[in-house]
Amino acid sequence: MAGTRGLRSSRRALRQPSRPAPRVSRRRLAGVSVAQRLSGRVHAGAAEVSVQVRTLDELLHAPLIADSELTTQEYLVNMGPQHPIAHGSLRVVLRLDGETVKHVIPVPGYVHRGVEKMCEHLTYRQIVPYTDRLDYLSAIMNNWAVARMVEAAAGIPTNYRIETIRTIMAELQRLQSHALWWGVTGMDLGAYTAFLYGFREREIIGEIFEETIGARLTMNYIQPGGLMYDIKPDFAAKVKKLLPYLKDCIEQYETLLSGNVIFQERLRNIGMIDGARALALGCTGPILRASGVPYDLRAAEPYGMYGKVQFNVVVGAVGDCWDRYYVRLEEMRESIRIIEQLIDNIPEGPIATLRYNDDIILPEGLHYGHVETARGVFGVLAASDGTSKTPYRLHFRSPNFNNLWVVTAIAAGWRIADFIAIQSSLDLVIPDIDR
Amino acid sequence: MGVALEKLPGIVERFPGGSVAITRLDQAINLARSNSLWPLMFGTKCCAIEMLMATGASHHDLSRFGAEVARASVRQADLMVIAGAIVKKMAPRMRLLYEQMAEPRYVIATGSCAISGGPFMYNSYTVVRGADEVIPVDVYVPGCPPRPEAFFWGLLTLQRMIREGETIREPGIRRKPVMAALPEDVTIHEIRKEIRGTLIDENVIDVEKSANEKPWAQKVREWIRKASSR
Ligand code: SF4
Repeated sequence: MAGTRGLRSSRRALRQPSRPAPRVSRRRLAGVSVAQRLSGRVHAGAAEVSVQVRTLDELLHAPLIADSELTTQEYLVNMGPQHPIAHGSLRVVLRLDGETVKHVIPVPGYVHRGVEKMCEHLTYRQIVPYTDRLDYLSAIMNNWAVARMVEAAAGIPTNYRIETIRTIMAELQRLQSHALWWGVTGMDLGAYTAFLYGFREREIIGEIFEETIGARLTMNYIQPGGLMYDIKPDFAAKVKKLLPYLKDCIEQYETLLSGNVIFQERLRNIGMIDGARALALGCTGPILRASGVPYDLRAAEPYGMYGKVQFNVVVGAVGDCWDRYYVRLEEMRESIRIIEQLIDNIPEGPIATLRYNDDIILPEGLHYGHVETARGVFGVLAASDGTSKTPYRLHFRSPNFNNLWVVTAIAAGWRIADFIAIQSSLDLVIPDIDR
Repeated sequence: MGVALEKLPGIVERFPGGSVAITRLDQAINLARSNSLWPLMFGTKCCAIEMLMATGASHHDLSRFGAEVARASVRQADLMVIAGAIVKKMAPRMRLLYEQMAEPRYVIATGSCAISGGPFMYNSYTVVRGADEVIPVDVYVPGCPPRPEAFFWGLLTLQRMIREGETIREPGIRRKPVMAALPEDVTIHEIRKEIRGTLIDENVIDVEKSANEKPWAQKVREWIRKASSR
C-alpha cells in the first residue's frame, strides 16, 4: 500500500505543470474590452507579427539548410488524404531533411462540398442541418451560431427556458467532444486504451442526446427562435446523475494518461506557439487559450446563459502541446460546473417562440452570429437582400480552418513524430476546414 | 473417375496434372474469409466517427464479428468501408485505393453521402452522387449517419454474401457489373455513351409515326380536313 501511495504521489508531481498555469476568472475581466485585455498578455505586440503565406512552389524550391552533420537527404513526403492521422481526409506535404520537418504544406479540399454555395438555395431553417455536417463534433453549437445570427437580425425573441436548455446541451456536447478528442489523441500517440475510455464517455453522453433529440451525431437541435424538441421530464435527473460520473472519469483520464511519462515527454515543450502568433493566425478556442490569451467568447461576449453562471477561462502558460491537452481537460471540469449551476432550475415556458412553418426574412444587409464551439469561434455571416427567404451569400467562419495553419507556422524544426503530436493536439475536424 | 467428375460438377474436378482435387475446400476458405475481414480506415466525414470509430470502441465491439483489425494501409485490407461524402477531388484517390487492394476485395458504402450524395445531392458542385459511380459497391447501409447496429447488419450481410457467393476459383466476380475491372481500351465514358444511346433509342417515341399507324388515323385526318375547310 505504501508503495502504491509513493507511485501515486510521484505521478502527481509529474502532472503539475512546470509553470503555474494562470487562471483568469470571468468576473475579474468584466468591463474591460477584449483588446485591452489582450494587450497585456501579448508581449510581442500583435501589430508587428507577420504570418507569411508562401506558395507551394516557393516552399518546394527553397534552399535547404541541413541541421546535423549526418548526411541526410531531402524528401517530400505526402501524408494523406488517406492516413490515420489525417482524421478524415486532410493531405499535408512534408518537406523533410532526414527526419526533421522543414516545411509543412497542408492541402485541404478533399471533402469540399460547397456548403456555402448550397446555402444560397436554402432557407435559414434549412441551413441549420448543414452546419451539423461541418464540425460534426460540435453540431449543437454550430446550430446555435445560425440561430443567433437569425435571431439578432430578425429580432426574434427567446426565453430563459430556451437559452438554459441550449446552454446545457452545448456544454454537454463540449464534454462529449473533448472526451472523444482525449481518446483519439491517446490513440494517435500510441495509447489505444485511451481511445476505448474516451468513447465510453462519448456514448454515455450520447444516450442523453439520443433520448431528447433522436440523433447520435448530427443533432440539428437548435432552431432560429427555439428548439426542435422539448426535453424529457427526467432529463434533469439523468444529467445530474451523469455529472459526478463524468468527474470521476476526468480523474481516471488523469491517472491513465496525464501521468504517463512517455505521454508527457511527447507533449511537453513540443510545438510551442505564442499568443501573438496564434492571434495573428486567427486561432481561437483551446489553442489560443493554451497560448495564454484568455479569449473565450462565452466570457468575452456572453450569450445564452453564460452571463449568469460562474466559470473560469482556462489558459495555458507556454502554448505547447501539453498546454493544449491540459486546457481541454480543465475545460471539461468547467463545463461540468456550468451544467451544475443550471440544471436545477430550468425555467418553465415554451420551447419555441416561432412556429416551425413561419417564414424568416432577414432585413437587407450583412448579419453575423457566432458562438464558441469546442474548437473555437464558429461564425456565420449572411448577406440578405431583404426580400427573399434565402441568403444572398453566406460564409462560415470555421475555427478549424484558422487552427490548421498553426502546423505550417510551428511544425518546422520538429521531428515527424512531434508533428503527429502537434496535429493531434490541434483537434482538427477536416470537413469544417473544407466546408 | 469419369463418373465422379460427371456426377459432382463443381465439387470434384480435374487438376492440370491429371489428378483430382476436391473443391469443397472453397467453402471452408469462404467461411474463413468471411469471418476475417480487415477493414480499411477510409472515413472522409461524419460517418467515420460512427462507422469506423464508434463501432470499434467500447460500446459496440466490432471484434465480435471478426472485423476489428482496422488497417491504415490498403495493401493489408480487404474491406473498404466508405464512410462519408466522396468529392470530385477525392474520387480518383478512392479508385486508386480500391485498385491497390488485393483480390478478393469488398466494399460497403455507409451513409447517404456514400450512397447517393445524401444531403449534398442537390446544388452541390463537387460531391460525387454515390461512391458506386467510381467503384463497385457490395453492400449499402443507409442512414445519416447509420447507427453502429446498422453497420453491423451490413457487415453480416456481406459475410453471408461471401459465404454463399464468391469462391476462390472465381475471384472478383460479382452479381453486379464491375466497373473497376473494365477490359483494356474501353472507358467508362464509352460505356455510358452507349447506354445512353440505347436508352434514347428505346425511349424516344415518334408521335407522328405512331399516330399514323393507328387504325383510326385516317378517320381523324379526314375530320381535321373537314373542320379546317369549313
Ligand atoms: S451521410 Fe450524413 S453523417 Fe454520413 S457523412 Fe454524409 S452527412 Fe455525414
